[in-house]
Amino acid sequence: MDTSFYAYLQQLELLGFFTGYPLLYAATLFIAGNQPVKNTFKSRVVSLLPFAYALVGTLYLGLQLKNLYPNYSFENVRLSIQHPWLTGWALLSVLFWIPFLAKKKVLSLFHSLVFFFLFVSDLLSNLKQPSSGAAAIRNDMKIYTGSLLFNLSAFALVVCLFFIANYFKKKNQ
Amino acid sequence: MKLLSNKTLMLLLLIISGSGYIISCTHDDDLLLPPPASNTVVITRGTHIHLPGTLTTGDSTQWKVDKAHSGVLWSTNYVGAAGLLTGRFNQFGIHNVTDAEKQNYITTGQPVKDTSWAFYENEPAKTYFNGYVQINTSNTGEPGRDAGCNIKAMGTTLIVPGTQNLTDSNIAQIHTTKVEFDPLSNDYIVTLNLTWHGLSPTPITQSIVGKLKYIPQARVQFGTAAAYSVFGLQLEFQFNCRDFLVASTSISDKINIECNMNFNNK
Repeated sequence: MDTSFYAYLQQLELLGFFTGYPLLYAATLFIAGNQPVKNTFKSRVVSLLPFAYALVGTLYLGLQLKNLYPNYSFENVRLSIQHPWLTGWALLSVLFWIPFLAKKKVLSLFHSLVFFFLFVSDLLSNLKQPSSGAAAIRNDMKIYTGSLLFNLSAFALVVCLFFIANYFKKKNQ
Repeated sequence: MKLLSNKTLMLLLLIISGSGYIISCTHDDDLLLPPPASNTVVITRGTHIHLPGTLTTGDSTQWKVDKAHSGVLWSTNYVGAAGLLTGRFNQFGIHNVTDAEKQNYITTGQPVKDTSWAFYENEPAKTYFNGYVQINTSNTGEPGRDAGCNIKAMGTTLIVPGTQNLTDSNIAQIHTTKVEFDPLSNDYIVTLNLTWHGLSPTPITQSIVGKLKYIPQARVQFGTAAAYSVFGLQLEFQFNCRDFLVASTSISDKINIECNMNFNNK
């Protein structure tokens, strides 16, 4: 099988994991509005966005480890990963578990915009192809929808876990 | 990021996403499928009539059997269970061999004329043919079998060089009793009587239904030689050899027969 097909599949994986985040980010901040006062519910929720992003990145890392299993040699990694720079960039999202980086939540947006631009460029290139373009765009949008739901789910999970942890923390005090 | 920036970002993302959804929801690339083909069998038949006449050479209205390019083939499952055992009859003809003609002929060619047939493409009721094969000329490519156990199993005698054995015990004959259109194809359904001694002391006749295919008349020319016309008839049928008291366990009950007859008007 042609390696370009694997490359395309891996690009779709990246899109599926990360393209939904910018819209989730913008929508959350839009709903939260201008919140100068800290420690409100909304501001806390907004502050959890980078952690949700880090969770998505961690799941992506898990998928790559699963794909590489059981051979984690450098040679196999080099041969298996078709977009090493993009994959490396995607894995950097795990760093948002670090509270210092998580505080600068706009960094998570900038990080994810790389994949969003990849998605937009894919859409534009498919628009130029009259024969197979429409089907490819339809496929891209399905992946984008999936990514939106995936990021939303990750965000909801992080928010739930945060408030559960917070609840038990207060209870123990 | 300030609220205004958030709104701008939100708007931008929504426009891009919305555009993608709108484009992906169009059905411009849907295939326009052609209407389904009809399931009705299209049967086309011409009006060709082929008759042997007196087999006068050069008379293009008289059709002659091209024996060199024809064949009567048989096949059966070896030991009734394995793959096909096949063979052909080296000597055959399209002639109604009468009792008076059932004898040995000192000749290397066919002793009787291939004139007992007529074919009407669009009037099957007028179509008929009578044919025969010389059983001891069965050829499987294994001389030990063809001149050995086959002879005994089929109840006949060995070939005598230079002699055509058309005696009653060595020929199997077919006589059509009805030819009709096949409603499902361009072919014809043929009812025929198969008469063969086999191992019986007297000839046994079985009524059998077969299928006849007509390969329509076509004009051919090779090099500078005069052009001529050809057509073909392919008859297929089966019979149970146990009905003719053949007991050999090397062959299946069911014997398939395929007669490929080519004709020309040279």
